[in-house]
Amino acid sequence: MTEIALGLILLGLSAYLLFGGADFGAGVWHAVVRGRRERAMIEHAMGPLWEANHVWLIFVMVLTWTVFPGVFADIAGRFWVPLSFAALGIVARGSALAFRKVVPDRYAVTFATASLLTPFCLGAVAGAVATGASSWLALAPIYAGLLTVGLCAYLAAAYLTWDAGRLSGPALASRFRSYALATGAIVGALALPGAIVFGVRSPLIGLSAAAGLVSLVLLWRRRYLAVRVSAALATGAVLWGAAALSRLDLTHQAAAPAVLRLVLIVLAAGGVILLPSLVWLYLLFQRPVPPS
Amino acid sequence: MGSSVDDFVAARSQMALTLGFHIILASISVGLPALTLLAEWRAHRTGDPVYRRLARRWAKAAGVLFAVGAVSGTVLSFEMGTLWPHFMATYGQVFGVAFAMEGIAFFIEAIFIGIYLYGWDRLSPRVHMLTGLPVVVGGLASTFFVVTVNSWMNQPRGFKLDASGHVTDVHPLAAMFNPATPTEATHLILASLMVCGFTVAAVYAVALLRGRRDRYHRLGFGIPFTFGAVLAPIQVVVGDWASRFVASHQPVKFAAMEDITHTANGVPLKLGGIELPDVLSLMVKFNPHARIRGLDAWPSSDEPPAGIPHISFDLMVGIGTGLVLLGGWALWAWWRHRDLPRSPWFLRAAALAGVGVVIAMEAGWTTTEVGRQPWIVYGVMRTSAAVNRGSGMTLGVVGVLVVYGVLAVATVTVLLRLARNDSTETYPQPVEKVDA
Repeated sequence: MTEIALGLILLGLSAYLLFGGADFGAGVWHAVVRGRRERAMIEHAMGPLWEANHVWLIFVMVLTWTVFPGVFADIAGRFWVPLSFAALGIVARGSALAFRKVVPDRYAVTFATASLLTPFCLGAVAGAVATGASSWLALAPIYAGLLTVGLCAYLAAAYLTWDAGRLSGPALASRFRSYALATGAIVGALALPGAIVFGVRSPLIGLSAAAGLVSLVLLWRRRYLAVRVSAALATGAVLWGAAALSRLDLTHQAAAPAVLRLVLIVLAAGGVILLPSLVWLYLLFQRPVPPS
Repeated sequence: MGSSVDDFVAARSQMALTLGFHIILASISVGLPALTLLAEWRAHRTGDPVYRRLARRWAKAAGVLFAVGAVSGTVLSFEMGTLWPHFMATYGQVFGVAFAMEGIAFFIEAIFIGIYLYGWDRLSPRVHMLTGLPVVVGGLASTFFVVTVNSWMNQPRGFKLDASGHVTDVHPLAAMFNPATPTEATHLILASLMVCGFTVAAVYAVALLRGRRDRYHRLGFGIPFTFGAVLAPIQVVVGDWASRFVASHQPVKFAAMEDITHTANGVPLKLGGIELPDVLSLMVKFNPHARIRGLDAWPSSDEPPAGIPHISFDLMVGIGTGLVLLGGWALWAWWRHRDLPRSPWFLRAAALAGVGVVIAMEAGWTTTEVGRQPWIVYGVMRTSAAVNRGSGMTLGVVGVLVVYGVLAVATVTVLLRLARNDSTETYPQPVEKVDA
């Protein structure tokens, strides 16, 4: 049961990276594009989804403190500084985005800054946990933070090619295509040497690299829907590789079997309602608005 | 090593500040979708464009409040670990399941609020209204689950401690449905709905006072005000039930709430500066000469800070009573001439009630939280043993203070902008795009 719970935590973390992370990346591009229409497109694409995407983080935290309370307390207690920055970044970002619905011309700088700060801090903590660094300001955590920001930006650019094509037109889609190609190349060049230096010995490196290359080809050939899958795979594999690196002692820290059992039952029951709802949410806003 | 007193105070202040902020937004965003849904349903049934406008406007406000509430709630999840790691390490598994349930309820709420807010033009009216229901149910359910954790902190159950202080024999459901859950959950859910009703009504009361006495503003006032005013007397009964529970299960908190310094027979009720002889004994035990334990019955190291629980408790009760009277005033006027009271003093009081209800909720929260001190888990773990012993927590609270200060000002500014746009709009104007 411990393994299943750990698997679910990793799954939640992956979902947070692939959906919530892309929202952070979208915040980065929001600052880059500057134009009012382009920004409106990004906000429109994120609008109905970001709150649900954000809940994955809460899911991961709650599950971790229930199933591995000692691990959660240890990580949160030691890395309270970057985690506090991340928390404040989350507040600033979510609020800024919501406020922009009412006052569209304001809070852009807050939104952009917080979109950089939050993934950097979360990535740094993840890097510190994976490599066993004691401070988040060591080389490995800083590298991991920057890599996380890069991955988020890359994912967002890759996803936004499709949204731009759907909501705006081929011109904006092409713009995000070049952003995605450029960040994809940079992040790939950053991720592979890092994986080798920090000793990731896992076939996941190969998977990530292959999916990354496929994504570049798909982007080049403007296969915007297919690239969503390959880009997600390339990014997710980085997270799993880092997880494989970590030396956390989980089996001795796990909660009592009665707790694990009930948590899994609750999640299974919740999943029956949640997953179809989530699929509906994503599909509903991919369709154009029917004429009234 | 060991945390300095300053860092301990800083951690507690930060938790109080961020939780005190979140609780306001969470309260309004639990009730507001229900009001929105009610207005949308009336619009659908009657075709009345005023209801439609109210529904759209409230949906927009709910969107802002839900977003800020969601992220400020996330901060609390972080703080559970960053501020209180020893609490989490020891007891995370005991109450964690309630949070897992809360997470699912909140997830459902977040998914459907996305669908509801952005789906007006994509769904048939009937389906659209149905998508609002999970938002309301999810909000109420997540409130319930979160409160079960607080009630557990007051009445810890469902575990044993072995000789080395490790938790064994965990029964998560027994922890969740502890003896304090019925009173705390009922009291807080009612309180949060009242906060929503009276704060929304206050916005329209101000508009009515400024002479905008059209149907839109009258309904915008009347619906949430009725909502709050109906709940207020129920809350008095529930509050009485809750304080009797505290008197029997957490007598030291009760002694602090009522400022009973000495154990005695025939304890007086202290209200402000007045003492009513024997009244408290009569109220609690239905016997004017009954014995009630005072703070002197416990060692001073086990007592909550003097004064605060009593002041905050009286403040909550006082404001709550005022809200009941305000509702009574409206009921009287309705009975006499089928209208709101004509006096501008009624609207002034209703506008003030919007602030008052928030103060009452914060005061009630202060009563239960400060009244539980010095324990984080009543009788089992001291708050000082739970705190993060890292240094620099004081700096953290300053940062949080700045960010939340800006956030509070920005939230109010944005909501006021939303309300102002509203009254300058030419009327009637049935359609507006939410996701423009």
